[in-house]
Amino acid sequence: MAIMTYIDAINAALHEEMERDPGVFVLGEDVGKMGGAFRATKGLLEKFGSERVMDTPLAEGVIISSAIGAAMMGMRPVPEIQFVDFITPAMDALTQQAAKLRYRSAGTQTCPITVRVCYGGNVGGGLSHSQSNTSWFIHCPGLVVVAPSTPYDAKGMLKAAIRDDNPVMFFEHKKLYRSVKEEVPDTDYTVPLLKAAIRRQGKDITAISYGYTMQLTLQAAEQMKKKHNVDVEVVDLRTLAPLDTDTFLESVAKTSRAVIIHEDNRTLGIGAEVAATIAEQAFDCLDAPILRVTAPDVPLLPAAAEMERFCVISVEKIVMALERTMAH
Amino acid sequence: MAIANDPVGNVPTKVSVEEQRKKLEPAVVRRLYAYMLKCRMMEERIRTLYRQGKFTGNYFSAVGQEATEVGATLDLLPEDAIAPSHRNFVTNLMKGTPLPLMFAHLYGRKTSPDQGRSAPAHCGYAPLNIITPSSTIAAQLNIGTGIALAYKMQHKQNVVVALSGEGSTSLGFWHEAVNFAGVLKLPMIFVVENNGYAESVPVALQTAVQDMSIKAQAYGIPGVTVDGNDVIAVYAAMREAIELARSGGGATLLECKTYRWYGHSEIDAAKYRDPAELEYWKSRDPIPAMERYLEADQLWSEAWKKELTADFNREIDEAIAFAEGSPIPEGDEALDHVYSFSIRERELERKTWSPKFERTF
Repeated sequence: MAIMTYIDAINAALHEEMERDPGVFVLGEDVGKMGGAFRATKGLLEKFGSERVMDTPLAEGVIISSAIGAAMMGMRPVPEIQFVDFITPAMDALTQQAAKLRYRSAGTQTCPITVRVCYGGNVGGGLSHSQSNTSWFIHCPGLVVVAPSTPYDAKGMLKAAIRDDNPVMFFEHKKLYRSVKEEVPDTDYTVPLLKAAIRRQGKDITAISYGYTMQLTLQAAEQMKKKHNVDVEVVDLRTLAPLDTDTFLESVAKTSRAVIIHEDNRTLGIGAEVAATIAEQAFDCLDAPILRVTAPDVPLLPAAAEMERFCVISVEKIVMALERTMAH
Repeated sequence: MAIANDPVGNVPTKVSVEEQRKKLEPAVVRRLYAYMLKCRMMEERIRTLYRQGKFTGNYFSAVGQEATEVGATLDLLPEDAIAPSHRNFVTNLMKGTPLPLMFAHLYGRKTSPDQGRSAPAHCGYAPLNIITPSSTIAAQLNIGTGIALAYKMQHKQNVVVALSGEGSTSLGFWHEAVNFAGVLKLPMIFVVENNGYAESVPVALQTAVQDMSIKAQAYGIPGVTVDGNDVIAVYAAMREAIELARSGGGATLLECKTYRWYGHSEIDAAKYRDPAELEYWKSRDPIPAMERYLEADQLWSEAWKKELTADFNREIDEAIAFAEGSPIPEGDEALDHVYSFSIRERELERKTWSPKFERTF
């Protein structure tokens, strides 16, 4: 066991998977000599050589597409997209090719790629280094979309993603990279994809989130306990598509109240799908309207500090929504 | 009249076609001819079936372009890959996809390689590494780079033949693929089938250059333009490119100037073209040209053609019978093959609209 940051956990997973399977290789912009914009691929080039740690041309479309083709031939590519904001040139590759290849070949051609994507704001990155955009991919059957919230999950889910036979979009919030530390085993372990987690037990209200805002939600839950003696149950979605609905439905059936928190825009964010699912499947259990704490529907995120603060999720905003729901 | 895209007397080919002709075994030359004839027969039959309403959707024939289709894909190894566009249905025939499966594909039957999911012209075949195509232009070239990359990493001698029309060269995505292949010296051949029109838009509106092959210079790979209606020229240029790729020398861009006889698809009457232009290109039909060429060397006869035609018609008839006798997929099979795991149960449950949880307190 070692205390690891989120980025250390990602790095450890890559080292271990590349050692385990010679078919695993990483490619992307600056992943080689520089070790990645955030140092997620640090030390890989030195250990595995430039054939398996490829600094590619600056072209997201062919970064993802070449990964797809290599995966069809039995490789396990792990392309990195430095910022999700830069993923648009690869949208054809992801939504028309990776997502559909298995389907359009009736399972005879598949592309087990793991696309590591850095997302999220609250770092003053401005309009093209801050977005979340998970919904673009959630809306695309054929892709698995995951967004782990802890170092333990980051390592275990990345290893599971690399071994998974589906194309996996692996969302890493840049704010998590160095802000969260915990004990992470040095040994080989995986965390199964497609299964949400209960991060905090509670009987009064269910708070549903993922990624960085899951950490903020945990802090908000502690405040609710201190201020109001309210027990918040925190559900970490972990995988956004396909969605594990049972875990949050069971929780809401117990607490009768639900608040959903995400940093992505509100309209058609994962919160909309979670809320609709609760309304369809557990309407009778509800004691209060389902609330969402999300970014406003504006391009994310304006660079000036006050505007950014206005748009991002904070512990205070989550507490307000939880209080409002409890008061109903 | 100015003939769009006319290669005659205007092709700066690096390939010495005459020299290659002398080198080719008679058996190879005869095979090139036989396959062109088969491709023509098959696509004309497919067009008839479409007009008869035997299958729905659409079809994108390459009739008129057989010299390019055949010259670029004859005698590939089973593990070599083809990255086809929507107009390369016949590359399945060239690579060896069983004809009954190809027709089952057109008919959208359960026995087709994709069990009825893709559009009729989008036929792939995993056992022979033919990528199941999609409609977005140049996507297949980019996926092809990854297959070529895997061949390189796995120390295989195989190559990827990536086909696209001249319109594809206008996309940034095309340039990403060719650049990537250039930088990584990938075993690939980019075959640009320049048939003069991207749907209705003439080549002069796609690019300001005369020959697409010049674009190769920007990516540090050889670029060659050949008369795409001269099957021997195409085949000879391909042999050089394949040899280069197999020996680790990297990618080649091969432009074949040719012409499609019919519209972009079966629902396009191609009224945007001058009929005289079509007549000119029909006078350059690669099939009778090859007959004359072979006959001069006593390698062709009417009797042989009759025999080929009868045999292949029988094969096509059998393939059609197989397709027509094949089951139509059930509606709920739409739920299969989305992921490696099944979502069938979830989706069927959703259709019942029954709540999972009701108040118990």
